[in-house]
Amino acid sequence: MSIQIKDELNLIPVKTYRWLNVNHLKIDEVLDKEIKTYHKKYADEGNHENILIGRTNKVFSLNKYTDGFKDEIEYGVSKEIVQMAEGMNNAGIFALLKRGKEVNQPIRVEYEMDDEEDVLIDKNIIIAEEYSKATFVVDYSTRGDEEAFHNGVMKVYAKEGSDVKIIKVQRMNDNSYHFDSNVAIVEKGAKVSFIQVEFGCKRAVTNYISNLKDESQSDVYAIYLGDKDRELDLSYYMNHIGRRSISNMEVKGVLKDRAKKIFKGTIDFKLGSSKSTGREEEAVILFDKSVKSDAVPLLLCTEDDVNGQHAASAGRVDDDKLFYMMSRGFSREEAMKLIVEASFNPIIDKIPFEGVRGIIREEIHNRLVMEVKR
Amino acid sequence: MDVQRKTYVEDLDRSIYDVKDEFRYSYKADKGLTAEIVKDISRRKNEPQWMTDFRLRSLDIYNKLEVPVWGPNLDDLDIDNIVTYVKPNTDMKYNWNEVPEDIKDTFERLGIPEAERKSLAGVGAQYDSEVVYHNLQEDMARQGVIYTDMETAVREYPDIIRKYFMTVVPPHDHKFVALHGAVWSGGSFVYVPKGVKVEIPLQSYFRSNAPGAGQFEHTLIIVDEGAFLHFIEGCSAPKYSVNNLHAGCVELIVKAGARLRYSTIENWSKNMYNLNTKRAVVEKNGTIEWISGSFGSKVSMLYPMSLLKGEGAKAEFTGITFAGEGQILDTGAKVVHAAPYTTSNINTKSISKNGGVAVYRGSLSITPNAYHSKATVSCESLMLDNKSRSDTIPVVDIRNDEVDIGHEAKIGRISEESIFYLMSRGISEEEARAMIVRGFVEPIAKELPLEYAVEMNNLIKLELEGTIG
Repeated sequence: MSIQIKDELNLIPVKTYRWLNVNHLKIDEVLDKEIKTYHKKYADEGNHENILIGRTNKVFSLNKYTDGFKDEIEYGVSKEIVQMAEGMNNAGIFALLKRGKEVNQPIRVEYEMDDEEDVLIDKNIIIAEEYSKATFVVDYSTRGDEEAFHNGVMKVYAKEGSDVKIIKVQRMNDNSYHFDSNVAIVEKGAKVSFIQVEFGCKRAVTNYISNLKDESQSDVYAIYLGDKDRELDLSYYMNHIGRRSISNMEVKGVLKDRAKKIFKGTIDFKLGSSKSTGREEEAVILFDKSVKSDAVPLLLCTEDDVNGQHAASAGRVDDDKLFYMMSRGFSREEAMKLIVEASFNPIIDKIPFEGVRGIIREEIHNRLVMEVKR
Repeated sequence: MDVQRKTYVEDLDRSIYDVKDEFRYSYKADKGLTAEIVKDISRRKNEPQWMTDFRLRSLDIYNKLEVPVWGPNLDDLDIDNIVTYVKPNTDMKYNWNEVPEDIKDTFERLGIPEAERKSLAGVGAQYDSEVVYHNLQEDMARQGVIYTDMETAVREYPDIIRKYFMTVVPPHDHKFVALHGAVWSGGSFVYVPKGVKVEIPLQSYFRSNAPGAGQFEHTLIIVDEGAFLHFIEGCSAPKYSVNNLHAGCVELIVKAGARLRYSTIENWSKNMYNLNTKRAVVEKNGTIEWISGSFGSKVSMLYPMSLLKGEGAKAEFTGITFAGEGQILDTGAKVVHAAPYTTSNINTKSISKNGGVAVYRGSLSITPNAYHSKATVSCESLMLDNKSRSDTIPVVDIRNDEVDIGHEAKIGRISEESIFYLMSRGISEEEARAMIVRGFVEPIAKELPLEYAVEMNNLIKLELEGTIG
């Protein structure tokens, strides 16, 4: 059996000029891979006072919990990709945050692929009951340099007044593929934060959609490190449905060597989303001539009483800044790294595990300082 | 519930533009588009063979290309029902008094000859498919400035036209520009010789009077090294119940060190599909400045492109779009930085009201060799009610690291805080709202030629209406 990707991926909500090639991504690759059982342990299961954690691919009916997703049909990287993840998953967690309860310890979910278990199809569902609160850290990594394939979905249903924070770290090897579809339904007064670290893979295609109801809040903080021949296609969509909803989007990245990136960020103010605010910011630091950076920041609006803003910027590290730091004894690479860290740190600091933060900082150091020196 | 008042902005007063003149013509092509019609147009214009061949080639391309899959829906536009060529009942005149009374009246109403007397170095007026009047001040002609209609240019300056015609915008660019290549008629040709500064603007005015017709004027402007020109283009048409099509093409060539300012005030009637293509090629240290006001038409798709080909070339785009009831105005700007040390600056404002759709669609491309380029894009949208729609669809495409790019966009409505602040300073509420809307369009208005700025201020007349928001 093989895995084939035929669909157009990460379609932008409204099409634009075709010659720019940003309307969708076409991969057209056939991977000689087989979907098998994933044996490794990736999360602690259990039914606690404040949370229930189980596995989605175990046979038990989720229907009574997942009613909230019924209205929202379209989401994710593409139909085909989502169908694969929904129907052929070999891993994934189901978490039920109990009403009014707070989970103090962040919940860790660790997926690690290797040459044996090289295909991960994970379906993750988080249901946050009214006024519950929890943080999840989901880590995708590979052991060794074998090509791995990951396709996952994450569905978050945040009921009234709940507060869910999801941190996703992708640091798979340079030969791998990563497809990641995320959807959140944020009910009245609830808040969902999505923090994303995209550091690895040959190709990473990610998609996040948040549906904001009355007085809800949705935040996206993302950092990416595109180097070598990496290709990133990152899509974020803030769908303001309810009144007084708030969204923030902050995406920061580095492009180096021959890396390519397309950032697609949409704020959509639907009719009825009066008094809502949406903010979007993308900033990319360019290291080399041979990079390719595309940004498509969309602002769609059918409601007048809203406040929407987006900003995108791109450029090199300022020469004066660099010169100053080098005059203080830093090497060029170290100085560049410090400037990148200064940009990334506010987002890295949102990760609640020192261990994970350390891994990320080390990765930045390796890629921007060590590998350049070598 | 908060009780809110909303600013009511009146529709543009179209009474002058909507005067229909009796439709008289000396020749009208059949509806639809065939090689026969294209040949016929070419024969009637007495064109050289190369132009006939060019038209037929474009027709071929037109038949092969598909309608864009993005942007506004064009299903209602049935090209087989558009008359491509309408020749008014007169020949070209160089003296205003010889222009037939009814056509003259139309332009008098629009204030064209008066403007010529006052503030223009030259005027061209096109009525349906043909230019009916062209004039240039003598001292300009003495300095070697050429300002004439396109047909005359094809006959009298064959070398220049053959060299440049549809090279900046080739017919295979998109379907409507291919259509233009096949059936183009009228338009202006301007050549400003090296070092000549045309201090007062030239103006061409395009008036479409025939119902269900297309207007396909071609404008070619060459500003030679170190020269300067300000060109003003005005467009209008009365409203008919059938759809009209405007698929003009503007090609601008700005040579080394030259500067061209190209101003457009477009006020087509609300049955017009305005699918216009404009492009400038800017050579070393040259500057193109676009001023663009889009007020009319049913559907507009207009994205003037600046191709910065020479080192140090500059582009500036200043645009305002006002979409009212039944209008979809999909406008914006495209810039391609194709040389080092190039700069571009895009600044747009849009207002949508009463069900109107205003879209900013643009692109900014930096090619690998365009190092040290700088670009800024700023788009602001004002929504006056929640029946309307306003979208911002920009793309930034960078293939080089030594760049400095900034893009920002904002959307919203008049904030109650600003009104409150102004009122606390003793300004009446009506005046405060008026001030804010005027302030919103001011950066654009001040770039317009005076008579247009006055016109725009009249167009955006403020009135207040108490409503519950």
